[in-house]
Amino acid sequence: MIATMFTSYPRTLTAVAALLALLTLAYGGAMDAVYPSLLTVFEWLETTWFGVIGKTWGAAFAFVEAVHLLGLALLGGCVLAGDGRLLGVVLTDVPMQTVVERTHRVFVFGLSICLATGIFMACGVATKIYYLPVYWFKMLALSAGMLFHFQVRRPLLSHDIQSLNPVVVKMVAVASMLVWFMVAATGRWIGFSG
Amino acid sequence: MNELIHNLAIWLDDTEWSRMLHESYYMYNWVESTHVLTLMVSLGMLFLIDLRMLGLALPDVPASRIAERLNLPMLVGFVVMFITGILLFYAVPVRTSQSLWFRLKMVLLVVCAVNAFLFHKRMNESVATWDIEPRAPSRIRLGAMLSLGFWSIIVVCGRFIAYDWFDCDTSPNTLIDIVSGCVDGQTRF
Repeated sequence: MIATMFTSYPRTLTAVAALLALLTLAYGGAMDAVYPSLLTVFEWLETTWFGVIGKTWGAAFAFVEAVHLLGLALLGGCVLAGDGRLLGVVLTDVPMQTVVERTHRVFVFGLSICLATGIFMACGVATKIYYLPVYWFKMLALSAGMLFHFQVRRPLLSHDIQSLNPVVVKMVAVASMLVWFMVAATGRWIGFSG
Repeated sequence: MNELIHNLAIWLDDTEWSRMLHESYYMYNWVESTHVLTLMVSLGMLFLIDLRMLGLALPDVPASRIAERLNLPMLVGFVVMFITGILLFYAVPVRTSQSLWFRLKMVLLVVCAVNAFLFHKRMNESVATWDIEPRAPSRIRLGAMLSLGFWSIIVVCGRFIAYDWFDCDTSPNTLIDIVSGCVDGQTRF
């Protein structure tokens, strides 16, 4: 039976396993063992070009912060339009498959902007965020969001959505909105911490 | 005019609610977070509409349908941003009213409103002829590009307000002091 389940839902099970591994690492004591050795990595990040630019030119850092927000707006717009359609709230007269498919491309673009600018910002304040619990929450939420989007939501919705159980489709939409809201909210809270 | 704005800001600053909002760690952060996170609703929808006009998003969905259906959530987002924006100004009125970036942001908001009015007017006049085309006509595309550009600058200005590079008590540049509306000897945060 397990073999049948794995062949039917390989990506979903891989995503769940990866999430469980992440949570175990974060809360199961393994993080406590790894955490001190990560400090050298974060100290090194501040010595990279991104780190030096971010620390030296406040205007460059602030500009990248703004671009990060623009990427977030794009990403959030796609999530709300796509998941809103799955919930039957927006674009109800456009086929679900069309909205989900077409917003995915823009979503990837928005996510790429967020990741690129996020790495730059992290390098600039690496030794600060290392000590912030909310930064690690954000990384967990981001990992969960990306795993969920690419390993669960997208493979599931690439099938004919009309043939899927409507409750499952709505649950996927709600989960997607919640996880990306969590990513954005924890990201915002980094600015208020430390 | 600057003196009038400054006196109004001082009056707001002296009100009890302004002080409470400014000094409340959680309340101020909640308002600011709501202002920033609502970007996903307001600008997220606006970007999708603009990108549709440029043929970069949802090109096979009629342009008028995207614009009409995403208009309501976009406006709800803007209303929330407007209310939280007023609260953020109310919490720190003196410094904000003398911020170069805040003033630039306000001017650009007016420019964006004019651009949105012209964009919708032009779109409504001609949409029947190009509704299902992947790309809108050049005039509409120009409006969409201006919208994307101006809103991006508004977000940059909004972010820059938090930094004190050109604050009245730190800026050595007279021209920036004039544009920022610095009132001599009356700086208070």
